[in-house]
Formats: sequence, C-alpha cells, structure tokens
Amino acid sequence: MNALLKQLHKIEERINYLVQLKDYSNWGNLDGFKETCDKLKLTVYDHSEDQFAGEIQKLHESICFLEERAEEQLTPMERVRIVRSIQRFSLKDILENVYEDYTELGGEGDANIDPAMVCAKATIVRRIKNKPYTASVMVIGQETGHGEEFRNGGSCKPEGNEKALRYMKVAETEGIPIHFYVFTPGSFPVEEYPGAAQQIARNIYTMSKLRVPMISMISEGGSGGAEAIGLSDYRMMCSHGYYSVISPEGAAAIEGKVKEGSKVPKELIEVCAERLKLTATDNLALGTIDHIIQEPPLGARRDDFAFFAKLRADVMRATDKVVLGTKSFRAFRSYEIRRKKAETEAQELQVDVSWDLNDDEIKRLLAQRSQKYRAMSTQGFSGLPTPTEKFFRRMQEMTEEVYFTIRYDILKNHQKQVQKVFKDVSGEGTVILKRVTSPITTALEFLSPQKDKKFVRPQLPSAGGALPPSSAQDPIELTDTYTSPLANMDRTITCPNSEKYGCKDLWVPDLFGEFAGVCEICGHHFALEHKWYLKNIFDPDSIRLFNSEITAENPLGYTGFDERLQSSKKKTGRNAGNMTFHARIMDIRVVVSMLYSDFRNGTVGSAEGEKFIQACEVAKRTKRPLISYVHTTGGIRIQEGTLGVTQMPKCTMAVREYIDAGGLYIVVYDNNSYAGPVASFLGCSPYQFAIRSSRIGFAGHRVIRETTGIDIPPDYHSARNALKRGHIQGIWDRREFRRNLYKSLMTMGSPHLYYR
Amino acid sequence: MSNNLQGKVLIANRGEIAIRIMNACKDLGLEYIVVYTDADKDSEHVQRNRISGADQNAWRITSYTEPNDIFAVADHTQCTAIHPGYGFFSEDYRFARRATLRDRPLTFIGPNWEVIKSLGDKINTKRVANALKIPTIPGTDSPIYNEMEAEEIAQRLLDDQVAQDIKAPSILVKAAAGGGGMGIEEVTEIEQFRRIYRQVQNYAKRQFGDGGVLIEQCLRDYNHLEVQLVCSRHGERIHFGSRNCTIQSTGRQKRVEAAPGFHSSCFTYDFDEQKVLEQIVDYSLKLAAHVHYDNVGTWEWIVSRSGRPYLLEVNTRIQVENDVSARISYLNHQHPNLIREQIRLGLGEKMGYKQKSVEFKGASIELRVVAEDTRRGFAPWIGTITEFHFPQYDWSTVYSHVPSDREYGIPSEYDPNLALALVWGDSMAEAKIRAAQFIDEIVIRGQDSHGGPIITNLEYLKNNLDRLLTF
Repeated sequence: MNALLKQLHKIEERINYLVQLKDYSNWGNLDGFKETCDKLKLTVYDHSEDQFAGEIQKLHESICFLEERAEEQLTPMERVRIVRSIQRFSLKDILENVYEDYTELGGEGDANIDPAMVCAKATIVRRIKNKPYTASVMVIGQETGHGEEFRNGGSCKPEGNEKALRYMKVAETEGIPIHFYVFTPGSFPVEEYPGAAQQIARNIYTMSKLRVPMISMISEGGSGGAEAIGLSDYRMMCSHGYYSVISPEGAAAIEGKVKEGSKVPKELIEVCAERLKLTATDNLALGTIDHIIQEPPLGARRDDFAFFAKLRADVMRATDKVVLGTKSFRAFRSYEIRRKKAETEAQELQVDVSWDLNDDEIKRLLAQRSQKYRAMSTQGFSGLPTPTEKFFRRMQEMTEEVYFTIRYDILKNHQKQVQKVFKDVSGEGTVILKRVTSPITTALEFLSPQKDKKFVRPQLPSAGGALPPSSAQDPIELTDTYTSPLANMDRTITCPNSEKYGCKDLWVPDLFGEFAGVCEICGHHFALEHKWYLKNIFDPDSIRLFNSEITAENPLGYTGFDERLQSSKKKTGRNAGNMTFHARIMDIRVVVSMLYSDFRNGTVGSAEGEKFIQACEVAKRTKRPLISYVHTTGGIRIQEGTLGVTQMPKCTMAVREYIDAGGLYIVVYDNNSYAGPVASFLGCSPYQFAIRSSRIGFAGHRVIRETTGIDIPPDYHSARNALKRGHIQGIWDRREFRRNLYKSLMTMGSPHLYYR
Repeated sequence: MSNNLQGKVLIANRGEIAIRIMNACKDLGLEYIVVYTDADKDSEHVQRNRISGADQNAWRITSYTEPNDIFAVADHTQCTAIHPGYGFFSEDYRFARRATLRDRPLTFIGPNWEVIKSLGDKINTKRVANALKIPTIPGTDSPIYNEMEAEEIAQRLLDDQVAQDIKAPSILVKAAAGGGGMGIEEVTEIEQFRRIYRQVQNYAKRQFGDGGVLIEQCLRDYNHLEVQLVCSRHGERIHFGSRNCTIQSTGRQKRVEAAPGFHSSCFTYDFDEQKVLEQIVDYSLKLAAHVHYDNVGTWEWIVSRSGRPYLLEVNTRIQVENDVSARISYLNHQHPNLIREQIRLGLGEKMGYKQKSVEFKGASIELRVVAEDTRRGFAPWIGTITEFHFPQYDWSTVYSHVPSDREYGIPSEYDPNLALALVWGDSMAEAKIRAAQFIDEIVIRGQDSHGGPIITNLEYLKNNLDRLLTF
C-alpha cells in the first residue's frame, strides 16, 4: 500500500508539473485528474489494494497520455515555463551528478558574494579501457537553487560576474578547460560598481581571448546575463531550454506598449515567445548554438540521472572536440579514424584526449574562436558584395594591408630607429660624425613617404558673421557651421534644472543654435540630432561613409517588423542604424562607428554589428583610431532574437582584436545608452567618455523596478553617477567635444597608430 | 523731419531712461508701453502711466532681465518695437536677435544684432580695429595659451614702453574669458611675469574653464573720451562730438562728464587737442562705416598724456551721458534729442540732415546725483527721500525718476541713482561756474531706517569740477 501511495504522490507531482506547464489553464481536464488524485488520497483505505492499484494505473495512463501530448505540442512559452520550474535541474545537481568531485570556490549557500553565481573546481573522470583518467576543469555557472530565495533565481549581480571572471583567469593560469552552465533569466540590473553592463563587457572582453578551451551549456539563457559566461568554443543547449534576447514578458510589454503596473495579456506573451525564436531547435537553425543535448520528455528534472549521464558524455565530447580542433592534422585524423570504427556511443569515448594545449594549439584555438563568432548571424543582414566583388574587395584589402604595413610599420619604424641611432651617436658630441651622418639622414628623410609628422592645420573658412574681415578662427572651433533644424521654432524651453540652479527659460533658436543645446547656466545638455555631430565634430567635408549597402533585415520573420524597418529606412535614407565612416579630426584620420537614434532607436542587430566589425577591421588595417560615438542605443534589437545577442561577443571579439593590434578605441556616449551594446563592445573600451547629461546603464528604470523591486532615483544612470562608479573615464561638454576628441587622439593610444 | 511714424514701443527699462524714452515717444507721436517690477512701482516711470484699466500701459514683470516676460507683454499689448534703454538687454545681441527673429518680430531700437555681436566682443573689436589701422591698446588681440609666447609678448610690450620714455612700464595680464575687472593682474618686471601668468591662467581655467590669457600695456595717465555717433539704416553716419568721462568712482562708474572732450582753457596739453579730437572722431566713423553701424553708439577712447589715442571699446547702445554731447550740438539752433533721433532712425527713417548742419558751440557738464557715500568707497545709501528739489534754469535740465511731490523709497535691488543734471554754457569756465551754483541749489533730504540723514555725492561732484578735462 505504501508503494502505491508513493506512486500516487509521484503522479500528483506530475500533474502539478503539467498544470504549471500549461499555466493553470485546465488543459486536458488536468483539474479533473487533480481532483481524482485528491479524492484518492482522502479515501485510500476505502479501496482494496487491487482497486487502488487499478485507479492509479488508470490515472498513470491518462497522465502519460497527457504528457505525450504536451511534449508533442510544446509551445515556446511552455518551454520557458519548464525552464523556470523549480523541479528543473540546476547547476548544483550537475556538479553532484556529472562531475566526480567538486569544490565550490567562494561561497557556501548564502554566505557568498553572489549566491547566484557558482564557481567550482571539479574533476571529471573518463573511463577508457577500464582505466580512469581524471581531468580537472573549472565549472562556472548560475545557480537557480530550486527556489531558494537567496539564489535570486540565477539572476547574477555584477559581483557574481566579477567572481566568474576571476576564476576564468585562474583556469587560464592553470590551463584547464572551463565548463560554463548558463541558468539565468538575465543579469541583476544594478549599476553599483562593478556595474551590470560594464562587468559583462569586461567578462566578454576577457573571454574572447581566454587561452583555454571553453564549453558552455545553456538551459536558461537570458540575454546579457547569459553572455557574461556564455562566450565559448562550443555552445550547447538543452533541448527544453530557452536562449533569448529578452524574456517573452519583456518583449510583450514592449510590443504591446503596456503601461507599467498593468497586466501584459497572456496571449501576447505567447505570441512573443513564438516570435523570439528562443527554443533549442530554432537556435541551432540560426547557428547561435552548435549542439542540442536531448532531454527526456517535458524536460529533465533534478532526479533524471539518465540525463546527467548523457550530459556528462556530451560535455566531455564537446571538450574533446574543441581540443582536437586545435591539434595538428595528424592527431585529429587518427582520432577520426578510431571514432568511425567505434560502433556505439560508449565506445566512442574510448580515446584519451589530453586537454592541455601548447602555444601553437592555443593560437589555433583563439583563431578558431574568432572565426566561429565572425561567421555567426551573417544571415541577419543583406548587402554583402557578390562573389566577384568580394574577390576584388579582398584583393583591395590585402593590398591595403600590405601598403599600410609597409608604410607605417616597416618604413616608419625603420626610419625612427635610424634616427634614434643617429641621435644617440650625434648626442655624444662627435661633431665630425654628425657631419658625416647628416647627409644620410637628410636623404632618408627625403626618401621616406612620412616626411613630416607635424600636421598642417588648415585654416577653416569662417562661415557667417557680420564682419567682412574673417577673424583668425581657431580651427578646433567649428561653430556656425551647421544649425540644427530644431532651432527653427519661436518658443522657449524650461531647463529641467531650473528649480535647482535658477536657470532662465531658454529660447529655442538660441538653445539649439548658438548654445549647441546646452543650458548656459547649469550646463544641462538637451538632445541634438546626430547630424549636428557629423557637422560639428569632424573636419568639414571629411566624412566618407563606407558599407552603406549593408542592410538591416528581419531574419526571424518577426511579424510586423518589416514595415517598421521599412519606415526607419525611409525616414533616415539609410540601411542600418550604425553609420560607419572615415573622417578627419584636425587632419588625423579616424574610423567612426555611430549608432544613432533615428534608426530603430539605435538598436544593434546583425547589420549594425557587421558594420561595426568591418569598421574595426578597417581601422586595424589602416592603423587609424576607432571612435565609437553612441548617439543613442536602445540595446540589442529584440526582433532579431539571439542573432542580436550574438552581436555582443561577436563585436567584442572584433574590437578586442583591434585593440590587441595596437589600436586606439574611444567610446563616447550621448543621450541614452543602455543594455547589450554597453554590456559588450562599448563597455569594454579602456577609454569611455560621456557627453554631459547623458545616461548610461544596463536596464531602464522600469525594468529595474519590475525585476528587483528597487525604486531607483531619477539620476541613477546619469553620466556623473557612471563616472562616480568608475564606469566611464570622463565627462565631456558637447561644446568641447571636438577639442577633447583631438586631445584624446593626441595623448592616448599606442605608438602603433599611424600618426605616431 | 516727418512725423508719420507708426508703431508702439515697448520700453524695457526703468528709471530716468524709461522716462526719457517715454517723452521721446510722445514727441514723435508714438504709443508706448512700460514695464516695471514690484520694487519700482513707486517710481515716476510707472506712476506717470496707467497700471490698470482698459488703457493700461504699464505692465508688471518679474524682472527686467526676464526676456520671456518682456516678450509676453509685447505680444499681449501688440507692440511693434522695443527700446532696451541702457544696461539690461541693451547690448545683448541674443535678445536683439530674438526680438527680430521671433515669429512676431519686434523692431529692436538699436543697432542690428550682428553688429552688437561683433562689437560686443572686445577682442574681436580690437582685431577689426587693428585691421583698419585704428590704434588700440598695445597687446594681444587673441587669447594666448603658451607661456613662452606670452613671455615674449610681455617682454616686447615692456621694451616698447621703455623706448617711449614711459616712467614705470607695466603690463596687464587678463583672463580672456573674464570681464568686469576679474582676473586682472599687473606686471612691472619681466622676472615676475611667469608667476603672474600662471596665476591668471589657473584662475581663468578654474573660473571660466578656459585658460586663455590676454596681455596688454597698462596705461596710467590717461583721459577717457567718448565719441557719440548717430547712424541710420540707410548708411548715413554723423557724429555729435566728443565728451570726456574721466571722473569715475572706484567701481568705474562715471560721475561727472563734460563735452567737448578736451578744452585748452582747462589744461595745457602736451599735444594739439583739436587734432586729437578730430582724429578719434575720424577713426570712430571709419570703424562704424566698416561694420555698417546703423544706430546710435559710443566709441570709447583712451588718450594718453602724450596725446596718443587708443580705441577701448564700442558701446552699441544709447548711453546715460548722451545728452552731454547733445548740449554742445545745435541742429537748426536747437539742441538735438538723441533718444528721439535713436527711435526715429531705429524705426527706419532717414536722418534728414547732414554732418555740416550740426553746429558745435559752448560746453556742457553732466552731474550724476547718486545716493552714495563717496568717503566709504562709494557705498550705496538706502532709505527714503522726503524732499527732492532741483533749481530750474534755461541753461540746465534734470532727468530723474524720483518724484518731487511725495516720499520715495530707494529700492535696494538697483543702483541708488537719483538724477542726472545737465548744465551748459558758452564756455567751459561758464559751465563750471553754473554747475557749482546748480549743485549748491539742489535740495535733497531723506532718512534711512535708523533715522540717519541722506548721504549723496553732491560734494564729491562739486569738488571734482576743477579736475574736468585735465590730466
């Protein structure tokens, strides 16, 4: 009887699981079954054992039937609910069941800098030909904790990500592979140091060139939080997991323009979950993951030991695969031959692959990682050249590369060295020697293409002004060159700080004309359109756009997005929300990437990412500084789903390669810069500046309030606070933007830049 | 002179100038509106108008420097022109620009905003003047940021002074972005220069956010002269002679002015004073023609003891002391009213007369009666005036906003200026005697909150009459 009772309990649990899965909607008469279950429980002793067993059997069969149906018709939103169930396996279960042994680093339960992030040194044992081989790995992942309050549902604080970063570096030092397990609905959006966005950016930046094999497994991949530990050489996903740019509820709130506090309609959430393409199969099709780990029907729960065995095999095989990919060809071939001979899966693992890498292999690992990410999400945009064009372009790029290398690296360095030698020698005071060498130096200087490193500062024509004699204008001041169309209105604006500083109402033509949108009294910056910057920051007529043909698309076929994209294109006359161009600042040639608000609020999708990466590549080739001016960015374009999310590691990878090659990467934030881009390729820059009165952050007020319950002050994301927290390196006045930029170009960056 | 002017003028100022503008408008047959603040509601410029009712023509505003209020009144009362007076918005090109460019444009009675902008910037004025070979105070005409360069300039300026036999050569180091006497240091020895330069540069950086510095020769023994120009929008430009405004309070506020600028009866000059006066008038007209100046304006000059003139700056407005020049000028045997001329020309009329119809004769003196303690650093006196009486002659006139028929509390918000008195005569000697007599006959009584008697600068004015037009 007891065994039967246990069975009944099990069935009850399954019913509850289904009820939750179906969002309490009495699907397939679940309520009825539940009632039967309850009745049975109350009336256990009214039945004979056989009768009771029969009832249970009947119930079991019905539930089995329902479970099968549920699995067959599993909707994306139901998958989300599976993942969120407290019965789902968590990282702790994996550590217990997949790994032989583990030591958690930095915490025991809630005595932890961030209980939502678990780092553990674990050993994994492979049995090959009955001989155990123990390998040490670093396991890093979020812990949802089966509903434990202090785990925060796996929503990591910035400190947690910082901890993860520390142990990634430990793993790098020790040369052991890292296994990442992503179980997060998203990062905890607080800005206090180290800061949600900035810490994620630092993590991605480091991971992009971490010198050990990295494997990740995604069960619940919520955008930024997932990326913080998601960049890896082999990405796997649980068949019932989800990986998405935003939670379906969040997407629905944006989509339906739902006011805060009011309920988001359920149907809309379902629809959004569908549109976001967040399931494992979708992600595999999109190429954002490499492999799906099959789970039992309706998802693996904490006691699915068969699943853990499978997971263990998959994780090991993935690590092997990554390691083998870096091995020289012969080793790989011998493994392949043996693998083909092997009949069963169990046999397949009968090869010992050492997870240690030598320097060459590490180099190959990094190159492959770079290629892997470069190839991701290329289906998300259009406008790439045709194969013939591509060939010519490639040729051109190669010539450029050779040309710039010869010009700046070889010739200039050579010349510098020669000059240094001569200087040293002549410095000793041997007049005769100097007399001898001077014709040679002159000749060398004459021959070299870089004759004079001083800049000839052009006298800019002063526009306007009542007086015919043009006053000697400082070329660093580009005033009166362009007036914002905002200025064509006869009305006044009240400065938001008027109560605090007693600012007078500002007359719009003054404000947006002469004052460059800055309140005279308190220095509050009003938003200006991106064209103002194009005209007032760079040398006149120096802007040459490139890659304008790369076009933002709707790769997921997101309903209704085509029209919106079309209207943006029409409005701006451009194909994507990122403008990339060559320009000059006081005759220093720079490459600029500019996210601007007119095009879908500066959100980053595949096209924008591609343009950014190409800008990095151009800057790297030509040894020019790269400036990323962020007029506004609303984050990752949610309509591109995970294709958008992959822009984070993808772009960071590219910019890291540019910086490592000796580039100077300056980021300037303006207006509003939030979420994904800040948490990746913008936030990783060593030189980040903000225009006064701009806002920089990870999540907006509403999201913070809804996810954390904290009511943040209105200036929470202000540039000043970002500076206080150490997220940015300085605040610039818009009126001095050009001057500051020039100063930065002259004082920052390595000697590798072309003008050094 | 035609009298078919149309329009309604908003007078955006207070005190005696508001009254003078009011009267000028009446003379020209123009309607006008005045504005006032709470502190000024007892002032004559308000009390002579109607502050309520259907034909209200005095409107209360929060501040004379609140453009939104002023434009709101202008729109509400259907004004077509605006007269800024002096001070407040008179030299604010943004205000002038806003007035002329707004959806309901107003005629700004004054030079057009572009002229105000280009001449309002002292450094720019200096640059333009130098280009026209008009002498300005020796020194830099653009901010210097480089210490080495600055020292070279300083050395040169000091050397030049030695070459000119100037007894105590000295230079001034100024913050380029500063003004009103802030951030100015004197250097007499080149050894001290770098220290002072750094000090001023740091001050400028801290205070104004820009470390630019100007270096100029420091002039000690000089007279402050002004040339009154009147120009029309039709390219006519004439002058109304020169005046001397050397006598100033410690705060560089003028107290006694006289016209003409120099007179041999007062002092034996080392130079030909008529020639210098002609020269500065010519230079002034030259610069005015170059910038297409189109209303009244004053060119300020510094004349050194040796007779070298230097252009100081241009005041693109009507000045307090405009009437000093008017009282030595005769148009058809009558003193011109420069404010009336300004309004007329500002509204686009032609001048109607030539330079040669202006006749200069005699001398005039202006006395600025201020409630201040000249012995205690010209500290303003605040209290209530109980008796206020000026003598009346056909060789004098008084402009005041202080009522003579009732008590008047001096508002603490503004300068305690009480009245402008003008006295003129056939010669400077006669004008001086009349001025002394006039001062003696003035009766001003009042008391402060402690019952103390009123303190005015009448004695100071009288004592300074002898100093007029001397070095």
